[in-house]
Amino acid sequence: MPIEKSDLLQGTLDMLILKIVTLGPIHGYGISQRLRQISKQVLLVQQGSLYPALHRLEKRGWLEAEWGESENGRQAKFYKLSAKGKQQLKKEESNWNRLAGAVANILQTAQ
Amino acid sequence: MPSWKFPSGKRTFDPQFDSELRFHVDKLTDEFIAKGMSPEEARRRAVLEFGGSEQIKEELRDVHRIPVLETALNNLKWALRLIFKSPSFSMVVMLTLALGIGANSAVFSAIDAILLRPLPYPEGDRLMELRQINQKVQKPQTRLAPPRLEDWNRLNATFDAITGFYTEDDSETSGPLPEKIEVAYVAPRFFQVFGVAPALGRDFNSAEGQFGGPNAVLISDRLWRRRFSADPNVLTKQLRFHNAPWSVVGVLPPSFAFPDRDAEVWLPVAPDAPYAQHREWGWFIAIGRLKPGVSADQARANLEAVQAQLGKQFPQTDADLTPGIVPLKETAIGDVGSSLWMLFGAVSLLLLIACTNIVALLLARGAQRRHEISVRLSLGAPRFMVVCQLLTESFVLAVAGALLGLGLAGAASGVFRSLAKDLPRVEEIHLDGRILLYTLACSVLATLLCGLFPAIRGTRGSLSDALAQASRSQVSGRTPLQWFLVGVQVALAVTLLGGAGLLWRSFQALGRVSPGFDANNVLSFHITGSYGETADWEKLQSRIWRTLEELRSLPGVESAGTAMSLPGVPNTYQNELTLAEAQTDPNRKIIAETRVVSPSYFALMKIPVLAGESCREDVHSVNAMVNRSFANAYFQGTTPIGHHVQEPTNPFLPGGEIRGIVGDAREVGLNREPVPTVYWCLSAADPDPYYLVRTKTDPSAMAGALRRKVKEIEPARSVFDIVPLEEHLNDAFAQNRLRTILLAFFAVTAVSLACIGLYGTLSYSVTVRRREVGLRLALGALQGQIVKQFLLQGLTITLLGCAAGWGLEAASARVLSGMLYGVSPSDGPTLFTVVLLMLMVAVLAALAPAIRASRLDPLQVLREE
Repeated sequence: MPIEKSDLLQGTLDMLILKIVTLGPIHGYGISQRLRQISKQVLLVQQGSLYPALHRLEKRGWLEAEWGESENGRQAKFYKLSAKGKQQLKKEESNWNRLAGAVANILQTAQ
Repeated sequence: MPSWKFPSGKRTFDPQFDSELRFHVDKLTDEFIAKGMSPEEARRRAVLEFGGSEQIKEELRDVHRIPVLETALNNLKWALRLIFKSPSFSMVVMLTLALGIGANSAVFSAIDAILLRPLPYPEGDRLMELRQINQKVQKPQTRLAPPRLEDWNRLNATFDAITGFYTEDDSETSGPLPEKIEVAYVAPRFFQVFGVAPALGRDFNSAEGQFGGPNAVLISDRLWRRRFSADPNVLTKQLRFHNAPWSVVGVLPPSFAFPDRDAEVWLPVAPDAPYAQHREWGWFIAIGRLKPGVSADQARANLEAVQAQLGKQFPQTDADLTPGIVPLKETAIGDVGSSLWMLFGAVSLLLLIACTNIVALLLARGAQRRHEISVRLSLGAPRFMVVCQLLTESFVLAVAGALLGLGLAGAASGVFRSLAKDLPRVEEIHLDGRILLYTLACSVLATLLCGLFPAIRGTRGSLSDALAQASRSQVSGRTPLQWFLVGVQVALAVTLLGGAGLLWRSFQALGRVSPGFDANNVLSFHITGSYGETADWEKLQSRIWRTLEELRSLPGVESAGTAMSLPGVPNTYQNELTLAEAQTDPNRKIIAETRVVSPSYFALMKIPVLAGESCREDVHSVNAMVNRSFANAYFQGTTPIGHHVQEPTNPFLPGGEIRGIVGDAREVGLNREPVPTVYWCLSAADPDPYYLVRTKTDPSAMAGALRRKVKEIEPARSVFDIVPLEEHLNDAFAQNRLRTILLAFFAVTAVSLACIGLYGTLSYSVTVRRREVGLRLALGALQGQIVKQFLLQGLTITLLGCAAGWGLEAASARVLSGMLYGVSPSDGPTLFTVVLLMLMVAVLAALAPAIRASRLDPLQVLREE
C-alpha cells in the first residue's frame, strides 16, 4: 500500500532528498524520478510538493543549487549536497537507524 | 498568510520558480507522451500529478520570505511573557539599567545644555567676545576704550557689527525703598548684534543713543513682572537712576539673559559723550557678530590689520595693542567643561558597570535556559532568529529601564539646577527630544553591550552537549567569564571610588589650610555707588569714610572697612611695580599682587603687622603695606619700609610710601600659596567696594541693623549682597564641592552595583555547585570550610579587581590632577582606604551566599537529583 504524503514525516522526506542528492547534481524532476524508482512506488509524493522542501533545504545551506543545461538542452536548476548537508545527512541517518532499530526491536519482542 | 509580511520573494523569485516548475511539468509530459499518450492527455496527467502549481509557488514564496514584522511581534510577545515570568530578575535588570542610563542622561542633559548647544541667540555661534591685548604689561587683557570700539566697528570687514557692554550695580529709587539693580551699560548696536528684539516696545532709537538724548531704558522680563506686574502699559512708566527719570521703552524676552541672569536694566552709552573719548580707558567687553561664513581666524587677521593701522594713527595709546577673539560661548561657560566631562566619564563608567552586571546576570540565566534554547535550535530555528529573540528580551528590559532612568534624570536635573545655581546656563537644562533620543541610543547600546554576548554564547554548541550538561550527573560549575566580569566591575568601581576619595581629600585639605586671615564673624556687603561719582574723588572719599564711621558706631560691630576684592575668593590682579628709590637689583622686575583696602582692613581681618606701623589714609597721599613674601622676595637683607612704590600702568594711582610689613595671607584663593603682595591703603578706590564688618556675634544677625543704619545715613542708596565672608569662601568652591558630591554619589552607586554583581555571581555559583557542596558536606566537610571556600573565591576576584582598579586610577589620575589640592593623584592612603572599603563591602556581599552554601542539607540536595 502506498504511503501518502501526509503520513510521510517532513524530516523523513528531507532525509530522503539529501540521500538522493548525494549521487551528484540533479534537478527536481530527476529527484522525483529517483524517489519513485528507489522506493518502488511505495512513497507517493505529489511531485510539486517536492519543491518547497528543496528550497527549504537550500536556504538552510544543506543543498547548493545552480542553473545548468539539462540532457535535452533546456535550462534546469540542479541541486547538489553541501558539506553541511553531508554532515546533516550522516546525523539523520544514524538517528533514523537507531529509531528504526529500536522500533523493530519493540515489534519483535512484543510478538 | 498575513499580507504585511516582508514581500521580498514575490517579484524577484517568481520567474525562477516558474521556469523551474515548468521544466518539471514538461519533462513529465514528455514521459507520458513516450508512454503513448496524446500530447493533450499527457499534459493533463502531468499537471494532475504535479499538483496545483499556484499553491506550490505560494509555498515557495513562504520559504523565501523574511517575516520581519511578524517575527518582531512574536519576539516581543515572548520577551514580555518571559519578563513577567521572572519578575525579580527583570526588576533587578531594569533598576540597574535605570540607574546607569538615568545618571548618564542626567549628566548628558547638563553637557548638552551647557557645552554643546549654541548660545540661545539666533546663530549664537557667530558671536565672539573681543578684548584688547597688550603683551608688554603684566595683565595683558584689558577692556576696550569707547573710541577704539567705534573704530573697530567702522574699519573691520569681517563682522556684521561690533558692540560692547559693562555692568554696574545701581540704586533704583522710584519705589518707597531704593533697590539695587544690575544695570548693563551697552554700546550702540547691542541688541542688533545679539539678534534679539524686545518682546514689548522697541530697541533704543538713534536719538536715545546720543549724548544729551532722551533717557531711555530696556528692562528684563523679570523686572517687568516684579515691578510692573507684567503691565502691558509699562511703556508709559519710568525708573529713577542717578536722580533722573528714565523712560521704559521696551521689555526683553524672558530668554534673554546677557551679560548674566541678574542683569535687569539696559542703558545706552553714548559714544559721542565727552567723557567717553579717552583711548586709554578700558570700559567695554566687546561683542561682535561674525559675518556668515567668516571664521574666527579670518576675523582676527582682519582686526589685527585694523589695529595696526590705529597703532600708526595713535602711537601713544594703540601701538602696543592687539585684538583677542574668543567665541562668546567659551567665555560664557567658563571652566565648567572639565568638571562636566569628568562627571560624564564617571557616569559612562557607571553605565558600563551596570551593563557588565547585566551581562553576568544574563549569562547565568542563559545557562539555565540552555536546554530550552538547544531544543529550539534542534527543532530548526535558525541561530540568527534565536539571537534576535534573546536580544529582543534585553531590548525590552533596556527600554523599560531607560524610561525609568528618564524619570530619574528628570528628578536629577531638578536637583542639579538647585545644587548648581551658579553654573552658567544652568536654567537651560531640561529634558527634551534630544535627551530622549540620547536615552534611546543609550538603551540600544546597552542592549547590544548587555545582550549580544550572552545571546551569542547562549546559542552556541549543539543539542547533545546541552542536553548532556543539563543532565543530573553534571557537577562542573566553572564560570570563569562571570568572575571576570565581576572583576571588571570591581575595577571600575574602585576607579570611581578612588577619584571620589581624592576629590574628598583635597576638599578636606582645603578646609585645613591656615589662610593667614580670620574669616569668622565677618560680614560683607555692598552699598550701591555709580561711576559718575568718580568725577569728584574727594566727595566720594568723604562719603565712604563717613559710612565706615557710622558703621563702626553700631553696637555689635568691632570694626568696619572696605576692600576691592574679598580675601580668599579666587581673584588675582598681578601688576608690575617700580620703586622711586634705587632698586637692589635694577634688572629684576617687581611683580606683585596688588590689593586695595581701607587702613582698618588688617586689624579687621586679623592680619598681623610684623614690622613698621599700620598705614594711614588722608586726602593727599596714599600709603602702602607689603606682605612678608614681598619683603623677602625683593628686599632681602634690607627693609622695604620707607620706600616708595608705584604702579606705572595705573595713571590714577599716585605712588605711595611703604609703611609696614604684614603677615602672609592667602588673598588670591584659599587653594593658592600667598604671593608677594602690595596693599594700597585706599578706602574709596571705587564707588562700589566690598564693605567688611567684623561683628561680635553671629554676623548674619547684624544684617538688619546694618540695613537700617545705611537707610538712615544714605536714604537713596541700597544695601545688597549681605553675606558672611565664610559663605563667600564656601561658594568660591561650590563647583568643587558639587563635583565631589556627585562623583562620590556615582562611586557609591558603582560599588553597590559591583556588590550586586558579586552577590549574584556567587549565588549562581553556589546554585550550580549545590550537588558538589552537598556531597562534601555529606562526606564530613565542616560548614566553616565551605564558607571559607566561597568567601575566598569572592575575595580573590575582588582583590584582583582592586589591583586592576588601582592601575586604572593611576592611568586616569591626569584627568583629576587639575582638580586636586594638597593631595597627589597617586595618594597612597586614599587608594589604600578605597581598596580596604571595597574589600569590606565585598565580604558583606559574599557572606550571604557563602553561608547559604554551608547550610545546604546534603540529604535534600542528593534527593533532588
